[in-house]
Amino acid sequence: MYRGRIEKDFNTWVSKGMLDAGAAKAMLAEYDARGTVFSAGRVLLVLAAILLSAAILLLVAANWEAIPRLLRVAGIVGLIWAFYLAAAACLGRGFKAMGAALLVLATMTFGGAIALVGQMYHLSGDATDALLVWFAAACVAAVAFRSAALAVFCGFLAWAIFGELVVDNDVSFEGNGYIYLVPLLIVIVIALVRYTNAGIARHLAYLLALAWLGWFYIELPEVWVAGLLFGAGLVAFLVASLPLSPLYRFARDAGAAPAFYSFALAVMGVAALHTEVDGLGQEIAIGATTLAVALGGIAIAGRLNGAVRFLGYAVFAAETLYLAFETLGSILGTSGFFLIAGVVVALIAWLVIRLEKRLSSKTTVEGSVA
Amino acid sequence: MSNNALMRPLFAAILVALLQTAFLGYMIESRASILRNGVDVVLKTVPVDPRDLLRGDYVILSYDISTIPADKVTGGFPTEATDAQLSVRLKTQPDGSWGVTEASFGALAPKDGSVIARSSPFYFYPTPDSPQASLNVDYGIERYYVPEGEGKVLEEARNASALSVTARVDDNGRMQIRLIAIDGKPLYEEPLY
Repeated sequence: MYRGRIEKDFNTWVSKGMLDAGAAKAMLAEYDARGTVFSAGRVLLVLAAILLSAAILLLVAANWEAIPRLLRVAGIVGLIWAFYLAAAACLGRGFKAMGAALLVLATMTFGGAIALVGQMYHLSGDATDALLVWFAAACVAAVAFRSAALAVFCGFLAWAIFGELVVDNDVSFEGNGYIYLVPLLIVIVIALVRYTNAGIARHLAYLLALAWLGWFYIELPEVWVAGLLFGAGLVAFLVASLPLSPLYRFARDAGAAPAFYSFALAVMGVAALHTEVDGLGQEIAIGATTLAVALGGIAIAGRLNGAVRFLGYAVFAAETLYLAFETLGSILGTSGFFLIAGVVVALIAWLVIRLEKRLSSKTTVEGSVA
Repeated sequence: MSNNALMRPLFAAILVALLQTAFLGYMIESRASILRNGVDVVLKTVPVDPRDLLRGDYVILSYDISTIPADKVTGGFPTEATDAQLSVRLKTQPDGSWGVTEASFGALAPKDGSVIARSSPFYFYPTPDSPQASLNVDYGIERYYVPEGEGKVLEEARNASALSVTARVDDNGRMQIRLIAIDGKPLYEEPLY
């Protein structure tokens, strides 16, 4: 991880005399003292909580007839109270990791309780309703405890709701309106991530947004939808990455994510447009647009944003191969195609190496000025 | 300060656990109130296709009142696709079970000797060229969980049309299962809680 890499770099710089040994030590100590540092113990604790809650859920699924119903309800409600109160005790005394694990355990148990009650009392509710209630409860808990672990949990539940809606087939455009709730879930998860400082959990929300928009196109495969995805992604990307834009500072604060995901949306849109084009002229136009988007993305945001840069390379390579296959592949046959593919990949590699050099030299110059 | 650090999570724990307990209580009580205040209706079950629908530990039940002939629908059909619920008037038939006498997309007026059930919400879209001969609806009593291994008996009885279900309907038309019988002999009787 980052901790290991930076320590290695520090050692190199110290041995070359570029960095004072005392300063390096102090910096590492500062890093270790940060509250949000990744620790294997913390992750293992949450994993243990998940395993325990899985045991509870399985107990529910086994439909345990031996105990009277009300006793079973009392038991599971008692577990919920015990876990939340224990979490509160741990958090109050500063055992943050244990507290987070107990919060996850408690909230998982509530999900199990909904299933248990539904099963014992033969309630034919649908799974989406149950998941939405569960999600709401997890959100309330995440806010009340200001818990990053629960914010992550909410992110996964939002995905589960989306998955359930898609699998359930209730989601044709005319079906129940639940699928239109997904953007709301995304906004809620992002708000929770910001409020609880849950960091990487924001990717769950951004990926869900991409998946939802992708679903939208699959349900309504029209040129204008693909064009809209492409256009919206492009505009969002420019807003997030052009220094001229009023939102530039705000987007930079959120790290590499806004530029990357808007770029990914533009790529998704242009990929969808590929299935809509018809005839040589349009093929060429869309191919040129794709290559321009890939190179433009690298040129505008690639220097500071590694994720955009690599997606740009991938798109550029894929599009070039696609074009080579479409134009030359049919003429040359399979072996000829591999020949062309080899040449094209070699050219792309050369281009990438040149670009990387340019970008890194630019960074050094700017770095030395600053 | 240290007092405050302990109180805030404690307050959060009580709030969250209370809300969750309240919701579970609401789930249980809303069913119990239907059983407590509702009116008995005896329903015939019909075979379910595909026949092996024992999913996990529950049996899927389908009733003859689940199919509503289009000519029993009064007050017309919606002209546009919409989320809909049917009000269904049930009456005793000569064989003792209850059947559909009338259904409506709007409300039905109460009448002596009949009970009005509300279907679960469903999506209705009109097909003017080929009007449907019947509508299939759910009532929220289509699932019955049984101890592991006991589902087969119920399934066979259901598919032989020997299974009858006594449900209770409350004033709002919501239904819950009270009794399951095979050939008139009670097999499962549901307590309130």
